[in-house]
Amino acid sequence: MIKDQSIPQAIALTLAQAIVLLAVSPAIVGLIKKVKARFQCRQGAGILQPYADLKKLFRKQPVVSTTTSWIFTATPYIVFASTVTAGLLVPIFVSQMPLNFAGNIIAFVYLLALGTFFLILAGLDAGSPFGGMGSSREAIVASLTEPAMIMAIFAIALTAGSTNLSTIVHRTALLEGIVTDPSPHLMALAAVFIVALAETGRVPVDNPATHLELTMIHEAMVLEYSGRYLALLEWASAIKLLVFLTLIANVFAPWGIATSFTPMALSIGLAVYLVKVAGLGLLIGTIECMFAKLRLFRITDLLGVAFILALLGLLFFYILRS
Amino acid sequence: MSWLTPHIGTQIVDFGSAMLLLTCFAIVAQRRLSACVDLFALQSLFLAMTAALVAFLTDTPHIYIAAALTVVVKVIVIPRVLKGVIERLNVTRELVMKVNVPASLLICGALVMIAFFITQPIIPFGHLLTRDSLAIALAIVLIGFFTMISRQKAVTQLIAFLMMENGLFLGATAATYGMPLIVELGVFFDVLVAALIAGIYTNRLQDAFDSVDTTRLSELKE
Repeated sequence: MIKDQSIPQAIALTLAQAIVLLAVSPAIVGLIKKVKARFQCRQGAGILQPYADLKKLFRKQPVVSTTTSWIFTATPYIVFASTVTAGLLVPIFVSQMPLNFAGNIIAFVYLLALGTFFLILAGLDAGSPFGGMGSSREAIVASLTEPAMIMAIFAIALTAGSTNLSTIVHRTALLEGIVTDPSPHLMALAAVFIVALAETGRVPVDNPATHLELTMIHEAMVLEYSGRYLALLEWASAIKLLVFLTLIANVFAPWGIATSFTPMALSIGLAVYLVKVAGLGLLIGTIECMFAKLRLFRITDLLGVAFILALLGLLFFYILRS
Repeated sequence: MSWLTPHIGTQIVDFGSAMLLLTCFAIVAQRRLSACVDLFALQSLFLAMTAALVAFLTDTPHIYIAAALTVVVKVIVIPRVLKGVIERLNVTRELVMKVNVPASLLICGALVMIAFFITQPIIPFGHLLTRDSLAIALAIVLIGFFTMISRQKAVTQLIAFLMMENGLFLGATAATYGMPLIVELGVFFDVLVAALIAGIYTNRLQDAFDSVDTTRLSELKE
């Protein structure tokens, strides 16, 4: 893919993708909060509120406990970097990413897992009981979402004939994949959607709106963080949400994405991408208002369903091969 | 209907049977009895739609009649009867299970694989449009069988039995474009009567033991 691109063009595209990820992600969080507020008959904060929050946090002085080790201060940077890198492997508005030589969808999953792993360590590091509980729960969720995610990915990769995200998206955009083989893709879509809700700590699994509650997962791990460290972690979790939404939008419905590098195709691709991601954000906000959070021990049921859906997607590829 | 090529037709039939299998898993994962009944009605609706599509694609009018009967018997009558039974019961959920939900789901996943490996050698000999659905039909029968064994409430067992019947119907449609009409009619009548009898039996169980747990039946001694 890199052959028909010049090096400066590749660098420009990668930078553009990183800027889109960094710039759009707080707006998506703001949009979801706005949707929830409107459903609860509140006015709610504006969509741009998360930007103001990040700005405020970056200005504040961080407080670091004396009992913590280097892991505590290094984790926000590791989480942020690994999430952005994972985001660069997913095609956002161009179907063939310049960075697609750097890693396939398996690298994507484990880059995100690297961030989760360090976040779990950091939750334990400060020695507070809340952090430990959050870490233990995050470990449960992460260990159950990983097989479901991998299975779903294999179901998609088998039809596309490649584990490279750019190839998968490019082929689907040119009307292969989900159009010619709907059953495995729909199963994988449902599985990836459940995994996305669990991985990004959205409602049936974790409640992102609470800050001090016994059942929280993500918030419990980042409870000890303040100032710019907290800002980085919040930003990273917003990017992670956006990356998962991008993955869902572009792997399963990539139509409209730029398949060539003309300015016209690129601007259409970007506009379509923003509409798709905003639509998914609306859907997530609606889900958060319609469903209650699951009991912690029922989360395994939900993730079991995600795993089975992904497994069925994989099996359907073989069963329904006509 | 120029766009409805045999290839696209096969895709839609395959998709319909995939949805049938998906609803099976939903029933296995569902604890609320009334939701199980709704899911069964949904599954039967998918079955009727798949059958009607096969009838349309293959020009076999008697499958239309079977599909219409499926809608009447399994989407309308039997769910109504079951809802009536559930209203009389004092339990709305299956709380105690011999096998818990995640384990049941994994076992059912394994059953799908077994069904696939069993039917794999046979499928290439078929030349029908629907031959891929055979593995799914067998999987549905196996899952229904497993659910009958692993659940304790009479209502869930009945739903599992009806699920097996749906699997057999799909299998018959997949393997031979449906059985002769007279056989289908007989089967529908049998299923309806079986569901009614099981409904009455569940009510009797509720009266006798104050519970619909079928393991309690082993307490019956001479």
